Amino acid sequence: MNEGWLSMAHWRSALRDPGLRLLLASVLVAVAALTSVAFFADRVERALLLQGAALMAADLVVEQGEVIPQAWLDKADSLGLRSARSISFPSVIVAGERPLLVQVKAVESPYPLRGRLRIDTPDGEVGQAPAPGEAWLEGRLRNRLDVDIGTSEIQLGETRLRAAGILRDEPDRGGNLFQLAPRLMISYRDALQSGLLGPASRVKYRFLMAGDAGQIASMRTWLASRLKPGSGLADLENARPELRTALERARRFLSLAALCASLLAGVAILLATRRYVDRALDSAAVLRTLGMTGAAVLRWHLGQLLAVVLVASLAGSLIGLAGQQVLVLVLGDWFGEALPVPGPRPVLVGLLFGLSMALGFALPTLLKVGRVPPLRVLRRELDAPGLAGWLVWLLAAAVFVGLMYWQVQDQRLAGGMALALMVTLIVLMLAGRLLLAALAPLRRAGGTAAMGLAALARYPQLTLLQLAGFGLGITLLLLLAVVRVDIVDTWQGSLPKDAPNHFLINVQADEREALMALLAERRVPNSGLHATTRGRLTAIGERIVRPEAYTEMRARRLAAREYSLGFSAEMQADNRVQAGRWWNAEEAGQPAFSVEEGVARSLGIRLGDILTFDVAGQIISAPVTSLRSVAWDSFNVNFFVVGTPALARELPVAYLSSLFLDRDSESMTLELAERFPAVSVLDVRPILSQVREIMERGALAVEMVFLFTLIAAALVTFAAAQVSRDERAREVAVMRTLGASRGRLIGAVLTEFGLLGFIGGLLAAVLASVSGYLIAVELFDLPGRFSPSIWWFGIGVGTPVVALVGWLATRRLLAVPPMQVLNSG
Amino acid sequence: MACETMGAIETTIKKAMEETTRISATQLGKRVKTPDGRMLDILSAIDMQVNAGEAVAILGPSGSGKSTLLGLLAGLDQPTQGRVSLLGRDLGELDEDARAALRAGRVGFVFQSFQLLPGMSALENVALPLQIGRKSGARAQAELLLREVGLGERLSHQPRQLSGGEQQRVALARAFAGDPDVLFADEPTGNLDADSGQRIIELLFGLRDRVGSTLLLVTHDQEVARRCDRVLRINAGRLQDAS
Repeated sequence: MNEGWLSMAHWRSALRDPGLRLLLASVLVAVAALTSVAFFADRVERALLLQGAALMAADLVVEQGEVIPQAWLDKADSLGLRSARSISFPSVIVAGERPLLVQVKAVESPYPLRGRLRIDTPDGEVGQAPAPGEAWLEGRLRNRLDVDIGTSEIQLGETRLRAAGILRDEPDRGGNLFQLAPRLMISYRDALQSGLLGPASRVKYRFLMAGDAGQIASMRTWLASRLKPGSGLADLENARPELRTALERARRFLSLAALCASLLAGVAILLATRRYVDRALDSAAVLRTLGMTGAAVLRWHLGQLLAVVLVASLAGSLIGLAGQQVLVLVLGDWFGEALPVPGPRPVLVGLLFGLSMALGFALPTLLKVGRVPPLRVLRRELDAPGLAGWLVWLLAAAVFVGLMYWQVQDQRLAGGMALALMVTLIVLMLAGRLLLAALAPLRRAGGTAAMGLAALARYPQLTLLQLAGFGLGITLLLLLAVVRVDIVDTWQGSLPKDAPNHFLINVQADEREALMALLAERRVPNSGLHATTRGRLTAIGERIVRPEAYTEMRARRLAAREYSLGFSAEMQADNRVQAGRWWNAEEAGQPAFSVEEGVARSLGIRLGDILTFDVAGQIISAPVTSLRSVAWDSFNVNFFVVGTPALARELPVAYLSSLFLDRDSESMTLELAERFPAVSVLDVRPILSQVREIMERGALAVEMVFLFTLIAAALVTFAAAQVSRDERAREVAVMRTLGASRGRLIGAVLTEFGLLGFIGGLLAAVLASVSGYLIAVELFDLPGRFSPSIWWFGIGVGTPVVALVGWLATRRLLAVPPMQVLNSG
Repeated sequence: MACETMGAIETTIKKAMEETTRISATQLGKRVKTPDGRMLDILSAIDMQVNAGEAVAILGPSGSGKSTLLGLLAGLDQPTQGRVSLLGRDLGELDEDARAALRAGRVGFVFQSFQLLPGMSALENVALPLQIGRKSGARAQAELLLREVGLGERLSHQPRQLSGGEQQRVALARAFAGDPDVLFADEPTGNLDADSGQRIIELLFGLRDRVGSTLLLVTHDQEVARRCDRVLRINAGRLQDAS
């Protein structure tokens, strides 16, 4: 039989089977949706990472107290990476008669490797590292020094530099929010000749690298064994908490949308297989009568199925590739020229996904074909023993959860989805059983509506299958259509228009009153003053903290750095206690620490551990009484480690505040600088707008991905309606023969599908509300909320849409002369 | 005057004939396209009529077009040529819905492959035409009919739980539910053994005698055909002669 497979005639005949056609379409759409999402998400994610990289000016950065060895530059070069070095150190410059403390940053071309440098010069805007002999000044530095750009000279150590431009944007400026002194940017060569890089100076050498993911991974591995204690390695994953949080959320949104689309397509495959198998049973019985073994019959159908899946998966991948290109064209402006070329991985993913979906969703049902009794030839009503319905769904769900985990590599997301999926199916099945029990008495009635409702009770297995299909379809749609909007709104709402965009650093105790009075007078929204000091973690319990004791780079970096310790009686509004308890008024009088959960995890800090900090020579110790999560992308004043006010009593603390300054920020900054010379004003608007951009683009990307979910949902609805097509065709033909009018049959179908849609929609609203709440709280760390519109959408849209689908599926049957159907068997 | 009287008499006779004619076909033909694109005449130039209360058999070998003819006469399919009249209505002037409405409660069917709805019990299957015709007491009447065909103990059985003979008896009960004016039977014994077939034929004619329905029966069995008032022979899509 196999030799006929390659012939066109075989396929022409095989594809006349509506089940196989539906299966082909389902796999095609499943793979097309999935690969579009995979291709697109892959590119968007890489673009988002690039944007994140722009905030570090590189993909990978090493920071250390020693000069970067030449061997590193050579290695980066040999791997094909672009690289640049920078040096930063505090120093005093003199312009005219005025000395001033600055934070010097010396860079070499091609800095920046990622992101954009923006300098205003008298000749216009430029964007590359300064030439030797030239210096670029931050705006507030010019205000303080009173220099003329283009002509004034500045003395830095042994070199004289010309003030050549004003530094507007520096991509990696936000790296340290608590940088006190204003920035002076010079060329790398001038820094080496300044005579300021002595052994005692507080110099940080940075090595910036950029390239593709493979090159970066090789370099990271190569560097790992060569870094000395105290050296820090930063990439997007371990740097910039505010950005990481935003990116992580964007990635989860995309994954969730992709999962919903592929799950829907999987259900469509399951439904299509059921129809294919129903039809295949007759021919299988004949083949068995002719002497074919059950295994051979199964092999034959399995081969046919796999061939279809293979073709559909390949075609689906190509459609996916084209689909994402359309998305890129539509959304081209988003990422400018930055969107990377799609990689080949999604095609492979599509193929594997298509095959696994077919095996998981189709095989359990297909097994029936091999077990069909030959006697079915004589008694068509004899069914083949197959797996129980619930077991088929369970197997499919297990395969899907496996695929899901493989696709998103996110245990929490995969686990959550799996659990939600199970609960959804169980609820739908239970509701289906209840519905059937409730409808049973209607079989006695004779009206149009009763005729439709009785149809549901007549085919309990089909009704359950359809209800599961419609219910799951509407649930996932609601989840994406309504809950998605809620979550995105909440996410964007977490960074309101008046989110803090400036920080005031280093406010002294005696300046507090005057400063707050000035802010109040100018009506500047602010966070109030937060006590802070710098300290190094020296011990966790009895254990002395040594960076080299940690293997993980982030842990090493955290162990080596100085922390800004905060002190507060109240917890910040965007923090959430994950373990332990925040101190009450009485406990605030006792020494205690609260630690951010990520830091605690990296450093192995547990609730109850005694932490010891060295604060400018003073040693403080206290137990950890709570672990918190922090919404870093809220831009509020937040600390990794917060102590009780009691701890701050004996320590040298300064205060910091966050403010929202609108367009008059320049004059306000100037006034603050004049009245409080020791206080530094830090402008975080560039980072703020970057995070906002990630949020907006992330949300838009999800909207696009949602389109595929819609297509998949349409397919499921169609497949669910098609499941009962054969039974329905015969029923319609007999009823018309017996004189039922078209209007009456349509009325019955509308009632039948309308009720399925109503119940599916009602349950979907409940399920989507609950899972939406859990998704917001558990996966996105956002406050959960219940949306009333979900009910209107669920019932108001579910009922008519499913009724319409039922009508469309039946309408064509009504046009076929009854004799044609009755003669067909 | 005489002419007028003659005209009136002719009109009266014509009207009386129309009233007594239950089924008629004029130059009826059905042509279909074969898979290789050729046109094939399944039926051509059929002229026939069946009067009220008459039992007519259409006898012919397999593939002669007799089931197609039954489908056309019952309005279950549409001809490519000619006209069909059923219960005094020209089917060509009626749309699908009007044809269904004409059948509802007035026309019964018995098929070779039974055509019972698998999801319904025997009782529900028999009650179906009564419910479609919106008649009251559908279930009670259905139960009576099932008892009449000897299936009083199998009311709640589904078709798959019944033998072929039993299924055809349910189909017979359904065909006679609502006392139809016309009954179409398409090879009612074709799927049954001789004993079961014989029993079905006895029941069919017994019920028909009680109800008084006009019967059009398609068969290839001469014995069955002989039970009818008249036999029309069909071969290769054409009526041969009448007896």
